[in-house]
Amino acid sequence: MTRHGASLLQAHGVSAVLGGTEVLHEVSLALPSDQWTAIIGPNGAGKSTLLRVLAGLLPCAAGDVQLMDQPLLRWRTRERAQRLAWMSQQGESAGELSVRDVVHLGRLPHLGLLGTPAAEDEAIVQQAMRQTECAAWSERRMDTLSGGERQRVLLARALAVRAPVLLLDEPTTHLDPPHQVALVRLLQRLAHDEGLCVVSVLHDLSLALQADRVIVMAAGRVRADGPCSEAHVRQAISDVFQGAVRIERIGPQDQWVAVPQLPRE
Amino acid sequence: MRRCGLALWLCIASAAQAAGISVQDDRGVTVQLDRPAQRIVTLLPSLTETVCELKACERLVGTDRYSNWPASVQALPKTGGMEDANVERIVALKPDVVLAAVSTRAIGRLEALGLKVAALEPKSHADMRRVIGAVARLLGKDGEELLWRRIEQQTREAAAKVPASLRGQHVYLEVDASPYAAGPSSFVGETLAALGLGNVVPKELGPFPKLNPEFVVRAQPDILIGTDTAIQEMAARPGWQGLKALKTGRTCGFAMPQYEVLIRPGPRLGEAAQLLAGCFTKLAQAH
Amino acid sequence: MASARRRLLLTLALATLALALCGLVVGSEGWSFGALTDPALRQVVWDIRAPRTAGAWLTGLLLGLSGAIAQGLFRNPLAEPYLLGSSAGAGLAVVIVLAAGHAGGQAFQLLGADALLRLGLVGAAFVGALGGVSLTLLLARGAQRSTTGLLLAGVVVGFVLGAMADLVTMAAPEALRGKQVFMLGTTGFLGWTSCGALALGALLTLPPAWRFARALDALALGEDSARSLGLPLPQVRMLMVVLLALATGTAVAQAGLVAFVGLVSPHLVRSRVQAPHRFTLMASAATGGVLLLAGDVLARSVIAPEELPVGVLTAVLGGSYLMWLLHRRGAR
Repeated sequence: MTRHGASLLQAHGVSAVLGGTEVLHEVSLALPSDQWTAIIGPNGAGKSTLLRVLAGLLPCAAGDVQLMDQPLLRWRTRERAQRLAWMSQQGESAGELSVRDVVHLGRLPHLGLLGTPAAEDEAIVQQAMRQTECAAWSERRMDTLSGGERQRVLLARALAVRAPVLLLDEPTTHLDPPHQVALVRLLQRLAHDEGLCVVSVLHDLSLALQADRVIVMAAGRVRADGPCSEAHVRQAISDVFQGAVRIERIGPQDQWVAVPQLPRE
Repeated sequence: MRRCGLALWLCIASAAQAAGISVQDDRGVTVQLDRPAQRIVTLLPSLTETVCELKACERLVGTDRYSNWPASVQALPKTGGMEDANVERIVALKPDVVLAAVSTRAIGRLEALGLKVAALEPKSHADMRRVIGAVARLLGKDGEELLWRRIEQQTREAAAKVPASLRGQHVYLEVDASPYAAGPSSFVGETLAALGLGNVVPKELGPFPKLNPEFVVRAQPDILIGTDTAIQEMAARPGWQGLKALKTGRTCGFAMPQYEVLIRPGPRLGEAAQLLAGCFTKLAQAH
Repeated sequence: MASARRRLLLTLALATLALALCGLVVGSEGWSFGALTDPALRQVVWDIRAPRTAGAWLTGLLLGLSGAIAQGLFRNPLAEPYLLGSSAGAGLAVVIVLAAGHAGGQAFQLLGADALLRLGLVGAAFVGALGGVSLTLLLARGAQRSTTGLLLAGVVVGFVLGAMADLVTMAAPEALRGKQVFMLGTTGFLGWTSCGALALGALLTLPPAWRFARALDALALGEDSARSLGLPLPQVRMLMVVLLALATGTAVAQAGLVAFVGLVSPHLVRSRVQAPHRFTLMASAATGGVLLLAGDVLARSVIAPEELPVGVLTAVLGGSYLMWLLHRRGAR
C-alpha cells in the first residue's frame, strides 16, 4: 500500500552532530503527502534527532533538507511554520496556560504575534480539540491535566497549524490503549483523507506497524524503508531489536503486530 | 584654602551688593536668604550642635532622629535620617533654611518644593571652621570667631594636660567595627595631632579609611580608642589578642554619649580634646 | 474564566482608588479639610503626597510588569526584575558619579554644575541599569544562545559589577554612603518630575508588552516548539530584555531598589486567575502598583510621624499573602 502524493519533505545525505558525536549518518529519504510514515528503532538510534533536523530545529553537519523543493533554510520562518508542524512530548508543559490558549498557539504561524484571531481560527481550534478529544477541558489549566491528557492537547496544538507536513515525536507515550487506537485512526485519516504528510516517531512497535510506511533506524542510519508488508523491512526490524521481537500478522483483519520474543529456556 | 577664600570673597561681594545673606555650601550651591534664618531644620547632629553653640537653639524647629545634644533638642520634631528624611514633615515645619549633609537624599526634593537647603559636611578642622562660619552667616550671628577660639583654647588646655610620656605615641581610633579608623586628615585625627599624638593610619589613606584588620595588628598601636563595647570585643577578633595595647590595658573606651562627642565634627571639638586628654592622663598614671 | 478576570481587574481598580485616596490623606501632618483651602496644607497634599502616591503606583506598575516579563521569559517563577544586572549596573554608575563628583569636586562646584551632579545620579542610575543589561546581552552573545545562557550571564554581570562598585568605594569611601543612601528603596522622594519620568517609562513599556505578549505564551511551550511555530526567538528575547531593562531602569533610577514587588506580583495574579500573558502582564503591573501603593501608605502611617522603609512593608504584605495562598493550596 504505497499510495502517496508528491514528495513534500526530503532529506539528502543528512548528517548531524550532537555534543561532539555524530548521531545521524547520511540519511536520505523522501516523505510524500497522503502518507503516514512511522520511524522506529532502538533507543539512541537518532529518531528524535532526525525529526528535529527535518523540522529545522537542529542544523545538519552535512547534507540538506528540502521542504516542497526548497531548501529548509531558505524558507522564511513564518512560512515554513505554516507548512511544517512539529510536536514533541518533551520540554515544558506550559503549566499556567489553559488548554484553549495552548491550542490557539497553533495558529501562531498564520496570525503572527500581532494578528487577531478570526472566527475561522476559532473553528480550526475547536476542530483540533475535537479530533484529539480534549474539547471538554477547554478552560482547564495545563498543569491540572494528566500526562496523557496534556499530550492530546499538544497534539491538538500541532493539528491546529493545519500544516501539510506533520512531524510528531512520540505522540503516544502517555496514552492509554483506547486513545492510542484513536490516535492511530486519526493519523490514518489525516494522511489518507486530508492528504497530509504525517511522520511520527513511535516507540510502540505495534502501533507503528499500522503506518503506511516504516523507516527502521539504528545507530544514526536508515536500515530499511518501506511498508511492513515487505519482508526486508520486517527482517530489519527484527535485526535492529536484536531478535527480541517477531513481526506477525494476526486476527481477522490480518493486522501486523510485533510480538516480544521471549528467550527459549 | 582657595575654596575658603573664594567663598569668603563671594560672601563679601554679595553682601556689598545687597542686604541679603549669601553662603556657598559644600555642593557649591549658593544659598541666598533675605534675612537671617529664624526657623531652621537640621538633618545632621553636628549641625544641630553648631546652631545651638552659636546661641540660636531656639530657632531650631526640627532635627534628624540622631540629634540628641543639647537635651533641649530631644523634644523637637524628628524628621528621619539621611536616607529617609520625612519630606512632608520638613515642609510642614516651614523652615527658612534646611541644614543637611551632602549625601542627604532629600535635598533634591526639598529644593524642588521651594525650600532652601545648605549641605554642610565637615571632615577636617579647616572644614569645620568654614562650616561654623557658614552656619553663623545663615543665622546672621557673628559668634563664630568666639566659638572657634574657645575650641582652640580648650584644645590647647587639653594638649597641656597630656603627659609627656605619651607624646609621640601612635594611636588607633576606631569609628566603626568594620573596622573604619580615623586617619590623620580627619577632624578627630587632627585633634589627636594637636594633642601631640601620632596615628597608625598613614595620611594617604584619607580621613576615614576602611582598614584590613591585619593592618592594625601589624601596626601595633600604642593606644586603642573606641567605644567601651568595641574595646571589650576587640580581644575576640582574630589575631587581635596579640596587640600589646590590649594586653597592657592601654585603651580608651568611651560610653556612647562621650563617644558621640569624639566623632561628631561639631562645636564640641574642644570638649572632645579634653575627653581624650583625660583618658591619656589616666593611662599615664596607671602605667 | 472571564468573570474571574473581570473580578480581579475590578478589585485592583477599587484597591488603587481607595489607596490613592488614603495616599492623599495619610502623612505625618495628618488630615483636615482645611487642606482644601489653606495654601500650606494644600502644598503638603498636592505637592508632596499626591506625586508620592502617583509615583509609588507608577513604580509598582513598572516593577510588576518587569517581574512578569522576567518570569515569562525565563519560565522561572523565581525570576525578578533585577536579574540581568540592572541593579548592579545602576549601583556602579551611581558610585562612579559620586566618586567623580568628590574627586572633581572643586571643578564641579566652581562651575555651578551641581544641578548636573544631581541629575547625574538619577540619569546615571538609569544609564547604569541599561548598561548592566547590555553587558549581559554582550556576554550571552546577544540572546542568540539559549535563555539559560542569558540568565547565567546576568548573574555573572551582577556579581562583577557589584565587585567593581566595591572597588570604587574602596578608592573613594565618601561615595559609599551616598550610594547606600541613593539606592535604598523608598517612595519618599518622588515628585512630579519623577512621576513624569515614571509615566514615560510606563508608556514606553506597557503597550509593546501588551502587543507582543503572545510571544511569552509561545515560549511557555518550550523554545523548540516556539521556534517550530515560527517565533523569531532571538528578536523576541531581545525585545523582552529591552522592555525589562527600560522598566526596571526607570524604576530604580527614581525609587532605588525596591525588592519583592516584581517577584511577587505575577504570582499573586496567577494564583487568582488563569489567563494568557496578554492579561497577566497587565494584571501583574496593576498588582505591583497596588502593592507598592499600599506599602507606601502603610510606610507613612504605621509609626507616624516616623516612616518605615517601603521595601520591608511590600515584603511583609506580598509575602504573607503568598504564604497564605500556598498554605491553602497545600492543605487542599
